[in-house]
Amino acid sequence: MEVFFKLNGQPVKVDVKPNEVLLDVLRLKLGIKSVKRGCERAECGTCTVLLDGKPTYSCMILAPYVNGREVATIEYLKENGELKPLVEAFADVGAVQCGFCTPGFLLTVYAFLKKNPSPTREEIKKAIEGNLCRCTGYKKIIEAIELASKKMKSG
Amino acid sequence: MSAAEDPYTLMEKWLKAKEFLVVGKGVRRADAIEKALGMARYVEDFYMPGHMLFVKQVLSTEPHARILGVDASKALEIPGVEGVFTAKDIPGENQVGYALPDQPLLADGKVRFVGDLVALVAARDFDTAIRAAEEVRIKYEPLPYVLDPLEAMKRTDVLVHEEVGSNIAFRTKVRKGNVEEGFAKSDVIVENEYRTHHQDHLYLETEGALALPELGDRLTVISAGQYPHLVRAIVSRVVGLPESHVKVIIPYMGGGFGGKDDEGPLVAAKAALVARLTGKPSFLLYTREESLIMHPKREATVIKYKSGASKDGKLQAIDVQIIHDTGAFTNRGPFILWRATVHASGPYKVPHAKVDGYCIYTNKVYQGSYRGFGNPSVQFAAEAQMDRLAEKLGMDPVDFRLKNLLRPGDTTITNQLLDHSVGVADAVAKLAETAGWREKRERYSKENGGRYRKGIGIGVAWHGISTSRGVPDWSNALVKIEKDGSVSVHTGIVEMGQGSPVSSHRQIAAEILGAPIDLVTVDFGTTDAPDTGATHASRGTSIGAIGVYVASAKLRERLNRLAAELLETSPDDIVIKDGKAYARSNPSKSISWKDLIKEAYARGVEMSATGYFFLPKGKFDDQKGQGYAYPAFSYVAMIAEVEVDTYTGKVRVLRIWPGLAAGKIINPTQVEGQVEGAAVQGMGYALMEQFVFDDKGRILNADMTDYVIPTALDAPEIMKPVYVEDIFKYGPFGAKGVGEMALIPAPAAIANAVSNALGIKVTKLPLTSENVYFLIKGKR
Repeated sequence: MEVFFKLNGQPVKVDVKPNEVLLDVLRLKLGIKSVKRGCERAECGTCTVLLDGKPTYSCMILAPYVNGREVATIEYLKENGELKPLVEAFADVGAVQCGFCTPGFLLTVYAFLKKNPSPTREEIKKAIEGNLCRCTGYKKIIEAIELASKKMKSG
Repeated sequence: MSAAEDPYTLMEKWLKAKEFLVVGKGVRRADAIEKALGMARYVEDFYMPGHMLFVKQVLSTEPHARILGVDASKALEIPGVEGVFTAKDIPGENQVGYALPDQPLLADGKVRFVGDLVALVAARDFDTAIRAAEEVRIKYEPLPYVLDPLEAMKRTDVLVHEEVGSNIAFRTKVRKGNVEEGFAKSDVIVENEYRTHHQDHLYLETEGALALPELGDRLTVISAGQYPHLVRAIVSRVVGLPESHVKVIIPYMGGGFGGKDDEGPLVAAKAALVARLTGKPSFLLYTREESLIMHPKREATVIKYKSGASKDGKLQAIDVQIIHDTGAFTNRGPFILWRATVHASGPYKVPHAKVDGYCIYTNKVYQGSYRGFGNPSVQFAAEAQMDRLAEKLGMDPVDFRLKNLLRPGDTTITNQLLDHSVGVADAVAKLAETAGWREKRERYSKENGGRYRKGIGIGVAWHGISTSRGVPDWSNALVKIEKDGSVSVHTGIVEMGQGSPVSSHRQIAAEILGAPIDLVTVDFGTTDAPDTGATHASRGTSIGAIGVYVASAKLRERLNRLAAELLETSPDDIVIKDGKAYARSNPSKSISWKDLIKEAYARGVEMSATGYFFLPKGKFDDQKGQGYAYPAFSYVAMIAEVEVDTYTGKVRVLRIWPGLAAGKIINPTQVEGQVEGAAVQGMGYALMEQFVFDDKGRILNADMTDYVIPTALDAPEIMKPVYVEDIFKYGPFGAKGVGEMALIPAPAAIANAVSNALGIKVTKLPLTSENVYFLIKGKR
């Protein structure tokens, strides 16, 4: 069946099977490699995308469900420059190790900071609870988010 | 080789460096941005659906059974299926055991655990491969099986490997002095049995490999792995091609932690086998379930530990029995057991020691390499013993440790003399001070009455650098200064998150060459580089980087001579930094970095060098259980503060203070990253991670819903590490190795803190709410 949606601002039309998940459509049919395959059951968050602006596990979304909606991945945010302070903060603080979880984290954090530009440490932890990282122990990720929120406020 | 390029001379020279351009600084790693933006490529990113075969594994559903037949006829009828392959199709050798020849790649004649690989199915797409795998019919004759290692040890009627004649796969020992004499001198003796469990690496990226047939009977394999040359050796053995015909590329990896050192070569061999048999590019990616069921785990152990000390607070003797449940195959079990037995004392001076280790076969998933490599479990036992002894002696646990910690000039329990680089006592003293140990320990001991009880505990550990005993270890790298002045480093060290090639290797090359660090690029994880050894045993920035260190130093000698000639001074007078070379005696005489390199090419000075270094080692006597174990040890200490809810048994780790005596710290930001990540992985192991096996030895929680790892909400506050830079003479600038360290004492520190909070001894992991609840109940 055909599904129409906006991917990173551009309209796309793609032929999918009714049981195909968005993760596979993005990775295998549309060449979006930044969306990673981790657990395939909505636990780890490496496959996070923004669905109408909301962080969503693409491994648990059937492709027909996104018909008529907007999907954004890290590629989109990279283009529009909004992500820069966040990416720079992750790189400077040392929040990136293997990097497999990082694009998912950045999407979650981007949406979170839009809603809550001055979060407390506890609010940050809660916001990223659905994204797992096995390398960093989270400390530097939390520090990077704090740094980015400060930088973004000071413009 | 000219005398000026002798590696020992060069290493000695650079070990004396006092001022640094980039070493010791938190230089940003080169891959951070491309990873953050999703541009970095991992194995699956190379897969092109429609142009490559997809490979699916058919796994055993029996814990122990003879294979009477494999019927693939139905699977082969499905359109799109290209083949179903079993052991008999292997053109080379099926044997892939790393330590002992007991492990076939594809089950041959019998299966030994639920998850053993029986067949590989290749199809044109993923869905067809799955459907075909379900249609492969295997006829089994079930055999009796054994799951408990203590039972397996005694039985000879059920044998996991008949040809061995016993379920004891391997044994090893350490002996020093006379333990009877030691216990006779002891005023206090404690004896306990400890149990630890399996742990999964749970890297977020599962294992995968893509094998591409090339012209001229060659293969290129893009694969998970922690040692490209080992991946190549196993691939070439299985497919029956010379190693020179196989090229291996290990791209960015979504975590390794040891697991991909074991499983990487196997996943590569499976994809390569299909590619070789079909002549088509073949891609295999484990599902999360397959990864959890099949790949080797941290060993489960039973450790019986008796130790004694005299009333002046000196350790006198230890008598330790270590049993590792090795599962269906030994894999790296003997090496893991060597490490566990040699480290059994903890980093303490013990005059009398007797340690016996056993690897036991059972019909379960097999054990393997995991950060800490046999050491976290035995340090947990050793450190619990230290606390019990301190308690009996009426001493503070830190004071008791400080009385017994190893110092330069001491010998280990294998009678190895530690002549330098032993900073553990300083690290422990500093750490206790930083953490406010005495005040907290005293306060929590008084306060502990209500529902929530706080406790503080310490774990101290050591970890030998390089491979165990006399097993050969070496380093190498190819460093080239290109005509435009940019620098390429080629190394077999991989990038799996630890960052050594993209941070410390660049720093080491830039420091020694004096080249601007932005000009240094590292090509990692490939058999195109000289054999560098594996990225394991915390060696990426230590032994693994010696090659970069030595090759760069050779080039620097050549540059110094050339610059001296051009600037009319002596080579010793040359300074290279900030993009130019100049004379120290007359800084106005200078030449830019780029012009210097141009001159080198114009005057016939070779601008490429390898940095081969073969680590000098002694011998270990297996019969005597004594001798040389490691070129040096890294030391680590950790203090953990916990809160226990006595109503629910829930343990929360509030704060962790880490301390390291790991030689020179090349990149403090990256070291902190390793320490923090390892501490949380160790906390996950101590508190929440565990497998549930059913009565067939099948893992019931093979998914990330039921195998639970820490989230941001579980992670404790981790304080800045305390460093004691106890320089190691063969490490780059004295670095010893960091990657595994903070995991090793974490279970010990947390368990000792829980014990302090509750006033109950802890002998079993994990400390889940349920286990702690019953621990408290048992006391009441």
